Amino acid sequence: MDCEEIRELAGAYALKALPPEILQEVKAHLAGCTAHPDIADLEALAQSLAWTAPEKTPPAALKARLMTAIRGETTEERRTSWILAWPWPRLAPQALIAVLMVAVVGLLTWNIVLQISQDDGQGITFVRSMTDSGAASGRIIYMQEQGTALLIVEGLEPLPSDMTYQVWAIDESGPQGIGLFTTTPTAEGTIVLQVDLSRATSIAITIERAGGSLLPTSAPILSAEI
Amino acid sequence: METLYDRFSRQAFGLAYRILGDGPSAEDVVQEAFLTIWRQADRLDPARGRVISFLMTVVHHKAIDLLRSRRGQVTEPLPLNPILAEQGADVLEMAARSMGRDAIRQALQSLPEEQRNSIEMAYFQGLTHVEIAAALGIPLGTVKSRLRLGLEKMRAALRIRPD
Repeated sequence: MDCEEIRELAGAYALKALPPEILQEVKAHLAGCTAHPDIADLEALAQSLAWTAPEKTPPAALKARLMTAIRGETTEERRTSWILAWPWPRLAPQALIAVLMVAVVGLLTWNIVLQISQDDGQGITFVRSMTDSGAASGRIIYMQEQGTALLIVEGLEPLPSDMTYQVWAIDESGPQGIGLFTTTPTAEGTIVLQVDLSRATSIAITIERAGGSLLPTSAPILSAEI
Repeated sequence: METLYDRFSRQAFGLAYRILGDGPSAEDVVQEAFLTIWRQADRLDPARGRVISFLMTVVHHKAIDLLRSRRGQVTEPLPLNPILAEQGADVLEMAARSMGRDAIRQALQSLPEEQRNSIEMAYFQGLTHVEIAAALGIPLGTVKSRLRLGLEKMRAALRIRPD
């Protein structure tokens, strides 16, 4: 396609009235040719046609419906904000795997709960309560066959944005970070960890700087012997 | 968002209705467009006047998308990232601010009927130049000329000058 053909098609291009195959040819030409600066003007004009449509008052019900939809999305956002808050770019590889798994926390949690209810607990390698001296508590349910641990916590206060909760699996070689999380405003959360705990002797949760630590820097606030 | 809706819903609904021709579909498009804006509100810069421009771009695209889907056609995906859509929104805002909406309407109305009709078939019906030629029973080259000459005449009427 040469410059003359592009000039002929300029109006149709500006109005987005080209079939896909021709559009690609025009785009390819424009990407490597500086001889068509006027096309930007025509595009501006074409887009300004939006203002030629007569204004029209929508039904009042539309506003109510929109606001309801927005409120619904706001609620959903609050429900999942503690998951989205994971600072994944700075995580160690092991923790990153855990974070990726948390992205599907809802589905996996549902699956695990369903499985537990269906098989009377068969498939669960162990369930341990996690306690400390304060109001926080937790439970960890581990299914070795699936390499999945479900951590359910409550009473963990929301942390400042520069801090995070970090989960550790401790074995004979020492603690290994297996995931980070922040809690909801209601101080509870469910975290799915894709992890092998077959060699772990205990599980612990500490408060660390956002992004997590290579080794714990504070005393556990929740822990459980396995 | 409520303030934004109160201020711009008439323009948005008017555009969607002009394209789709029926209220319920236009309502769906406007709702989706406002939700798109709301989901990306933190990435839009109201100070630069892009919100209404982006909103109108989204309404147009979604309405044309719906129209084309009714005809079994596929529309090129809209760059929903406002940063990617920024250029389009900018030119729309520039056009509205520098030319005035009434002037744009007058410039369109001042075109010869055959040029105006072809432009409106492209913009408000989402037809390609090939489809316009088929619908009007005229040569493809004639449609290309009408679309180009029509826009060029509007440009002359509005005295747009390159920066």
